[in-house]
This record gives sequence, structure tokens and C-alpha cells, in this order.
Amino acid sequence: MHPPTRRHVLRGLGLAGLAAGGLAACGSSPTISDDPDELVMWYWNRSASPKLLEQAAKNVPGTDRHVRADVIGTTFDTKLRTSLAGGAYIPDITYINSNNALYFRNEHQFLDMSDLGAAQHADDYYEWKWKLGITPEERFCFFPLDIGPTGFYYRQDVFEKAGLPTEPDEVSSAVSTWKEWIALGAELRKATGSALVNTAQSIYEQFLNASPERYLDAEDTPLYTAEGSAVREAWDTAIAAIDAHITAGIPDARGTDQNAAWSSGKTAGHVNASWWSQIIQESAPDSAGLWRLADQPVRPGNSGGSFAAIPHTCKDPEAAFAFIRWINTPDHQAEAYNDVQLFPSAPASYESGTMKYAGDFFGDQDPLAFFSHAAEQVPESFISTWESVVSGSFTLEITNVETAGKDPDRAWADAIAAAEKALRKRGVQR
Amino acid sequence: MSVMTTPPPVDAARAPAAAVPRTRARGWRGVLSHWPQYVAIAPFYVLFLVFGLFPIVFSIVLSFTDWDGMGEIRFAGLSQYIYLVQDSRFWNAVANTFIIWFLSTVPMLFLALVIAFLLHQNIRFRGFYRVAFFLPNVTSMVAMAIVFGSVFSDSFGLVNSALTALHVDSVPWLSSSLGIKVTIAVMVIWRFTGYNAIIYLAGLQSIPTDLYDAAKTDGASTWQIFTRVTIPMLRPIILFTVITSTVGGLSLFTEPQVLLGDAGGNGEAGMTIVLYQYNQAFTQFDFGYGSAIAWALFVLASVFAIINWRLLSERRDAPRRTGRKARS
Repeated sequence: MHPPTRRHVLRGLGLAGLAAGGLAACGSSPTISDDPDELVMWYWNRSASPKLLEQAAKNVPGTDRHVRADVIGTTFDTKLRTSLAGGAYIPDITYINSNNALYFRNEHQFLDMSDLGAAQHADDYYEWKWKLGITPEERFCFFPLDIGPTGFYYRQDVFEKAGLPTEPDEVSSAVSTWKEWIALGAELRKATGSALVNTAQSIYEQFLNASPERYLDAEDTPLYTAEGSAVREAWDTAIAAIDAHITAGIPDARGTDQNAAWSSGKTAGHVNASWWSQIIQESAPDSAGLWRLADQPVRPGNSGGSFAAIPHTCKDPEAAFAFIRWINTPDHQAEAYNDVQLFPSAPASYESGTMKYAGDFFGDQDPLAFFSHAAEQVPESFISTWESVVSGSFTLEITNVETAGKDPDRAWADAIAAAEKALRKRGVQR
Repeated sequence: MSVMTTPPPVDAARAPAAAVPRTRARGWRGVLSHWPQYVAIAPFYVLFLVFGLFPIVFSIVLSFTDWDGMGEIRFAGLSQYIYLVQDSRFWNAVANTFIIWFLSTVPMLFLALVIAFLLHQNIRFRGFYRVAFFLPNVTSMVAMAIVFGSVFSDSFGLVNSALTALHVDSVPWLSSSLGIKVTIAVMVIWRFTGYNAIIYLAGLQSIPTDLYDAAKTDGASTWQIFTRVTIPMLRPIILFTVITSTVGGLSLFTEPQVLLGDAGGNGEAGMTIVLYQYNQAFTQFDFGYGSAIAWALFVLASVFAIINWRLLSERRDAPRRTGRKARS
């Protein structure tokens, strides 16, 4: 190695300058696409129909724009927040998962689609879903994509062994209340040793997902401390299920054990959304054809489902909204169901008759008819932006009662105390 | 590393009479005269400033604020730290982390030392064994956590099936508090034993053989040689592995996260400090608190490393003890 000559260094500097210049060229314009006719959309795997995105990549009907759809990996929220916080590389359209309430605190990052004529399409969608997209300031920022109407999945063969009702109608009428449902679980446990569901937490959560009242109201006032609140009822139901010994006590984090339990019939049921059928099918393929759907006690709820939003920096809000509406017409939602099994938020999708359920997971039962019927009965509710701050305290304590035998009264007191502390810490007015 | 070019001799004819003979330039002039070298090392420092130092400093700033990652950053004074001290979930995470650290580090380093000692003997296929022991360290931890999840699964796992076959009660590895910690510790042991064994082996090979010869001549047994020669000579290496294991153990994240999810399992029994930090920052979007947790971890790890250092490093200044002397 001879010492570098000046020429070498200058050449190196030139290269470094070029590199820096290249970086600066990206940095000087914080737009995500230099093509004036290109709208960039962010979504995650299986949240949109690839076929429809292919069409939109050429042209969004009724506009002279086209859409470039970027799949974002697992840290979707982190990436979206980072770009919004930095004010750079913000997509023109973004999908947002069922945690859209987290964005209420920063709702002005998104355009109010009422200004773009959203209201004229409201009748096409389930009202409860439409209302979940309205922020506390009454701005419509989140457009309905798919939904997750819930039902009671059960293993018909195990029920038969236990001498319980087996046909969906019979089971539905046998479990019209949670009390009856728990009693049925106790019978099942006695007869076969099988649990009815894997976790008490799932009972608690699905109870709330089917409840008009949740944790906090639109003024950030906690509701759970009141006598007879929905949270307390959900809690008591979950505790009663634990006492009746109808839960297996296998938490969600242990997917392997859950799948094995469903596969073997050691757990003979599950209460959750339409999209769970695929998860069970993939993880417990041997059990396909043995499952049936019955009505969830009291009424069905909604678990999951996503939204589309337009960030405030969008280069052409009209075209972005045209795309969102276009990809969510009832016909296109039906196509998306056939393509990637996204359950439509437009009732007309099901009525069009183009939706096809392929498979015999539920034997001769038609899950589309079942979940469409369930979707009509989901109650309207308000999800507070602070819900995620408090909900974990309750589910943690339910699991403590279930798996560690903690005293339920102490667990409830601890959950309330932890929730209050967490709210105070985040500066939510008490 | 710097290329020391002596300045060219000053031409006496052109030099002003009053010129001070140039010594090596100091300060900025020195920097300027060596600019090619500084330019050559600049890329690292620029990258470090942007991607290393700035985030570190910014996280200190963030820990005194309340920020959800998007909206305005509000100054919150010491409130994040005050909350941290009273936060039972945080202290639970600290306790978990230390228990897992203890359960994994002690057996791991002991095993590593034994393996290294065995590999140091003249055996066949030494190269193969070295590679074999090191392999776990380079496999994907995410994939391994899934495997471990199946192996230790409560009702359907290999381990419990084996225990049942032996008519021993099965252990709730993934649902009881201690079971969760033991499972995570086993994963850590599995992954890092070989890595530490290789380091010890390098240390063993640097011990001069004449020490062993002298010991043998003096009639020392194998055990005496191991405890009186090998261990003392390996002390700096052991110190190194203990400190790296401490820092690694206190920042444990991947294993519990993949094995148990973001919530750390039943009753948060597998919630480690870094998992809690991740949970607060990236699932609750409470970046101020996440930063405060990160700095609390920094303080804990520093204190711990210093304690280890003190316990294990040789005190060169300590006088040879030749029995107690009564203080006069």
C-alpha cells in the first residue's frame, strides 16, 4: 500500500459526492413517487385482491391515474407512523387494520372522505362497520374494507360422542345465552374430557366484540368501573367459564398447542370471526369437514376487519377516493372474497350470488350464508383510541385466573388499578 | 494507522528569516494537513453519527417526553422514570430477565468450559466437533423458537411425551411461570454454549504447555491442573464471556418473543425487559416510556458488568496474602 495520492483521494471524494448527491436527490422531494399520475398505496399481504390491484395498476376507472400497490411487511403500523411523523414518503392511500382507533389521536393526518362524497355510498355497507370509520370529531377517515363477523365453531363429531346436539340449528338454540353455552361446555367436559374453547380470554374478547358498549366512551371516560358494565359482564362470563372448567387454558401465543388441541378434538370449539376457518383449516387439516357453525350466544360480534384511509399529503384525493370506492364496490368485494377470502362489508356482495365458498370444511353447511346473516346482527359500538392501553390489563388478569388460579376478585381489582394507572400515565383526563 | 509523512524541509532560501521552524502542526492545522486520511475514515463516522449516535441521543431526549410516534412531542419531565420505578410490570420483567439470565448463564459457561477442555484433548474429528458445537449459534433463532415451542409443548410436546412414557408427571413447560423461564434458558444454552466453548478453546490453546509440564513434574493431578493452572490462566477469557453473556442475557428478546408472543406468555412470566420495551414502544406506541425502559436497562447492564468485572478481574494491586495480620 503506497500512501494515497491526491488524485486518488479526489476521485474517492467525487464518488462520495455522487453518492451523497444521490441521497439528497431522494431527500429533497419527500414524495413517494415521482410519476405525477401514480398513486402509491400501502397494504399488507392478503388485505387486497391481487387481481383488482393489477387492474388498478393500469388505470383507476373514471380517473387518469393508476395505483402502485406496495406490500408492507409485519411492522405495518410502525412504518406508516414513521412516514407520517417524518412527513416524507407518505403513501397516497393506505390500508389500516382493525386497530384504526389508534389513529384517532392523530386523525388530522387523514382526509375526511365526507368532503369527497363518501356519504352517497354509505348505504352500500353495514352501518356498524361504517360507523367504526368515524372519528371522535365526526370525520369519516376510514373506509370499510372487510369485516369479521363471529360465530361459534364446534366439532360436530366430538359433540356427537358427548351426546350433545349436533346440527347447527339445534346447537344454536341450545346456546342462546352464555349461561347455557357454559352448561353445554360442562356437559362436554364430563362426557369426553374435551374443553369447549382454548382460552377464557377468547370468551371475554368475543363477548365484548358483540357488545354495544366497550371500555371507554367518546369523551375518554372509562365505563368499566360502573355496576353492570359490559366489561364486567364479559369478565364474569369468562370467570364462570373458568370455574366450570370448560377452557383448556392454552393461550394464543402457543399456537402449536392450540392447533394440536383442535386437531385432536381435545378442544372442540372456538368463538371467533369468519377468517378463522382458514387458520384452523391450515393448522388442523385433518379436522376439515368435522366443523360446523352455530350462532354465538346472545348475538354475533365483529372481530378484525380493516379500513382504507387517505393521508393528508395525498397528491390527488379525488382519484384516491375513486380508487377506494372502486375496489370496494359490492361486486369487487365479492371478487376479493373469491380471491383472498376477505369477508365483504357490503351486504349486496353476498346477494349478488358471485361469492363462492370452495371447500368442505363445514361439511354441507354454507359458511357464507351463516356469516352474512351474522354480519347483519352485529351491534354498533364505539372503539376508543385508549382501549388498547387498558384492555391488556384485563386479559392478563383473566389468564392469571385461568392458568395460575389467582383469586378472581383480586384479579379484577388489580386489572382496574393497572388500567387506571396506564390511563393516568398517558394523560387521559379522569 | 495514520501515515506519518514528515513535512518537507523548509527551503531556507525562500523561508522568511523570522520563520519559526515548523514543528508538527497541532489542532486544526494538523487536521487540515492530514485531510486525505480524515476523508478516508469519514464514511464510518458519518454513518455512525446518523444511524448510531443520533438515535441514542434522541432516545435520551424522548425518555423525558410523551410521544406516540406521530403527533406532537410533549415534554413530560421525569414522569416516565417516576412511573417506571412504580411499574410492577417493569419490575416483573426485570426479575424475569435476571432469573432467566441466571438459569442460562451458569450452566452454559460451565458446559462450555467442559466442552472446550474435552476438545482440547487429542481426539479424532476435532474439527467436526468444533463446527458441530458452533452450528446452533448461526441457525435462525426464529425457526428454532418454533421448534422449541413444539418440543416443549405442554400436552403434545416431545419432552412431555418422553416424560409420560417414563411414567413421570409431565411438566407445563409453556404455561407455568418457572417452566417458561426454564424453556427460554434452555434455548439460550442451546444457542450459545458452542460459541463460548470455541472462545474458551482459543484461550486454552494460548496457555503455554510448559506450565502443564511443570505441574505434571510436580505430581499434580488432572483436577489440580485444571483448577490451579487452567482456570487461573483462563480468567481474562472467562471474564470476557461472563460480561458478553450478561449484556446478551439482559437484552434477551428474540427467544421469548417468538416462543410466547408480544405479551410474554401466561402472567407475563416470560416478559423480559427488552420485550416489555418493545411492547410499550411498538404495540402501545408509547415511545417516551419505551425509551425510559431502554435507559433503565442501560443502567442495569452497566452496574452488572462493573460488578462482574470487580468479582473476576485480577487485582494486580492487591498484596499477596500471607495470612491475616492484626491491625495495629
